[in-house]
Amino acid sequence: MEPLEKPAQVALLPEKIPFVKPRLKVKIGDKVKVGTPVFEDKRNSNLIFLSPGGGKIANIDLGPRRAIKRVVIALDQDEEYETFPIFTEAQLENIERKSLIKTIMTGGLWPLFRELPFRDVADPDAMPPCIIVSLGANEPFQPVPEAYLKGNIALFEFGIKILQKLSQNLIISTSSENSYVIEQLNTHVTHVCQGVYPAEDPGVLLYHIKKTQAENQTLFINGQDLLLVAMLLGTGKYPVARTVVLGGTLAREKKHFFTRIGVPLGHLTKGRTVNVDNSRYIVGGIFRGYSDKKDSYMGFYETSLVLIPEGNEKEFLGFARPGFNKPSRSRAFLSYFNKSLLPMDCNCHGEERACINCGSCAETCPVDILPQFTYKCILSDEIEEALAHGMLDCVECGLCTYVCPSKIELCDVIKNTKKAYYLEQL
Amino acid sequence: MMKRLSKFFDARRKHFEDGKKFEKIRPLFEAIETFFFIPGNATQNHPHVRDSLDLKRLMSTVILALIPPLFFGIYNSGYQSNLASGLSLNFMAVFVNGLWIVIPVIMVSYGVGFFWEVLFASIRKHNISEGFLVTGLLFPLTLPPTIPLWQVAVGISFGVIFGKEIFGGTGKNFLNPALTGRAFLFFAYPGNMTGERVWTVISGMKSPAADAFSGATPLAVSAVSGAFNIVKSSLVNAGFTFPKLFFGAYPGSIGETSALMCLIGAFILIVTGIASYRIMFGGILGVLATAYPGYIFNQFYGNSSVPMLSLHPMYHLVMGGFAFGIIYMATDPVSAPGMNTSRWIYGFSIGALTVLIRVFNPAFPEGIMLAILFMNLFSPLLDHYEIKARLRKRVPNV
Repeated sequence: MEPLEKPAQVALLPEKIPFVKPRLKVKIGDKVKVGTPVFEDKRNSNLIFLSPGGGKIANIDLGPRRAIKRVVIALDQDEEYETFPIFTEAQLENIERKSLIKTIMTGGLWPLFRELPFRDVADPDAMPPCIIVSLGANEPFQPVPEAYLKGNIALFEFGIKILQKLSQNLIISTSSENSYVIEQLNTHVTHVCQGVYPAEDPGVLLYHIKKTQAENQTLFINGQDLLLVAMLLGTGKYPVARTVVLGGTLAREKKHFFTRIGVPLGHLTKGRTVNVDNSRYIVGGIFRGYSDKKDSYMGFYETSLVLIPEGNEKEFLGFARPGFNKPSRSRAFLSYFNKSLLPMDCNCHGEERACINCGSCAETCPVDILPQFTYKCILSDEIEEALAHGMLDCVECGLCTYVCPSKIELCDVIKNTKKAYYLEQL
Repeated sequence: MMKRLSKFFDARRKHFEDGKKFEKIRPLFEAIETFFFIPGNATQNHPHVRDSLDLKRLMSTVILALIPPLFFGIYNSGYQSNLASGLSLNFMAVFVNGLWIVIPVIMVSYGVGFFWEVLFASIRKHNISEGFLVTGLLFPLTLPPTIPLWQVAVGISFGVIFGKEIFGGTGKNFLNPALTGRAFLFFAYPGNMTGERVWTVISGMKSPAADAFSGATPLAVSAVSGAFNIVKSSLVNAGFTFPKLFFGAYPGSIGETSALMCLIGAFILIVTGIASYRIMFGGILGVLATAYPGYIFNQFYGNSSVPMLSLHPMYHLVMGGFAFGIIYMATDPVSAPGMNTSRWIYGFSIGALTVLIRVFNPAFPEGIMLAILFMNLFSPLLDHYEIKARLRKRVPNV
């Protein structure tokens, strides 16, 4: 892990926070401290998002239809901090649940709690059936828990105390490969998940352990994010520390960096890339993340930046090649025998075709949805049937889209339908 | 060469754009271009990476698996023809004659079928699906070598239009298009599809060998052998020993005679995971489970039962089109069920029905075609019930 020097600017990306309709509380040129409210959610004005830096609002970028894309803050040499109440463990014992939630909301970190199945920011008024803390999502190029937990075990345990006030039912899950977590947090870990991505995802875990319908509205929070909540209550300062991973074939140095929320992508990649033309910057992981421009910033939730080739070149007689280094889940290429690491790019490797009902998607789905049938229910507007198929259990991992030989955007169809269904209910 | 070809396509693409002269036949242009080049389209959404397998690769793997029966079919058609016509049995002579018999059939099938594909794709403004590459080759391999070319054209047209396109094209058809075409020819022109004379091309009209020649298929022989327990001996008398049936050098539809070649194809399909092994093994189980009880029963009450039941069940696996049908036709993913248990049931039922039709129905010596088409109709139902049972186990969300 390498600590990065302080960037010149940091930013907040309201657009990338799910379902939030931002209302700005600052304008260009305003002075802000670390922890000054920058925008609030129009649905609930208590849900506020704070400045990850102290300085001046340098720019507010608007996208199509005046959507707020970014609020850029130019950092001062010596940043000032807003102050928040400090809690000792004893004080925490006596605080009421409601006022604890209010403290976290005022401290701007409530959005780190997300609610299944729609992955919206958690409803502060509802009593969650359960809270899942996931230590390390095993998607490629996400920070390993060891990187952010080292030296912070006590803080993490303080975080667990906070969660115990929020819900009776606490699940702390990690992967069987995270021996560090299993050793250090032995007494706290409740579930150890085995398997490849996305076995550790809170949605997948919930799918496998839930018994009743009421458990569907479980909250989840990432291990690194729980540390932030613990820091807020422990130090009385808005925490901005982030452990971020840079990875991908076009990153010359693939490793963990210790930096802060909203850091510019260029600050992470400076001097650490190869062949910057025609590369794609993926923020948040190759399966779940979004691609962004080189001059953008890391989002509030995101902890990974992957650089891989765009791959928008044609390939001559591609279908007839033996394919010794073509990555594929199928056995239709000789790469089946090639156990070394294979090059990945963003090419679709084919054009979209009609579904031929091959069933590859259903074989990869971690929550036993039948994407090929569910997607047909959705296309024919049979939403009730799609719901019965478990559409809402979808963890949006993207594996069905990845394997589809007809190149159908299954995950996108299901994800958008979930979103539309949720918005209709609000 | 590659660069020049790429430039060639780039230079001509503008004529096929909207509002240009050839906009209507853009699917044709794209089909040809994407044959040479996998397009450079990058992902728009997450996940940002995609598997290398696409339909072109998938369908060309099926074509690869069809190569052994295709080549053996070419050889066998020539061999049977030369044998019956009293011509040289030299390998080259046989193979060249086989090419003369089979290639025109394949060319007509591909040419006419491709015309319909382009027409429908142009009207519907979508791309041409690779599925036709397989249909266009499967269809001729199920036909007798003597088939008149105009019937090939009519058959593939029926298969593509009524077996697939009127239901919305690839992915929405519930019948196997190649078999639909064959079934149409079978019922519309039975004189050219069944009987003893259709399986062998006789060249040189007056040859004495031709007059004495009986081109009966093993299935016909076993169906007409009248008395109990002589089916096997009448097969052997007609020259159909088990090894011969397995290797396939006997008269029959172009691609279906050799069980060995089909097994090689099955190996390719199963190893690459392209076709469902559940359907294939289900089919074999279905044949054995249906034929064995009859066979055993027949040993005790032979005289009063159907004579063909006295044939050892293993013969059903190697005779006629069963191997070809269960390996290449029944496994068409679109018209087969999508759920795994349903696939076992579907395959099993095809095997069972094949034997039942062969043994009990005097009108049809072969049963695999009707068995597959019949089970095609049932696959949505099988899926429906398996999905229903599976969904019952879920904890509901709403």
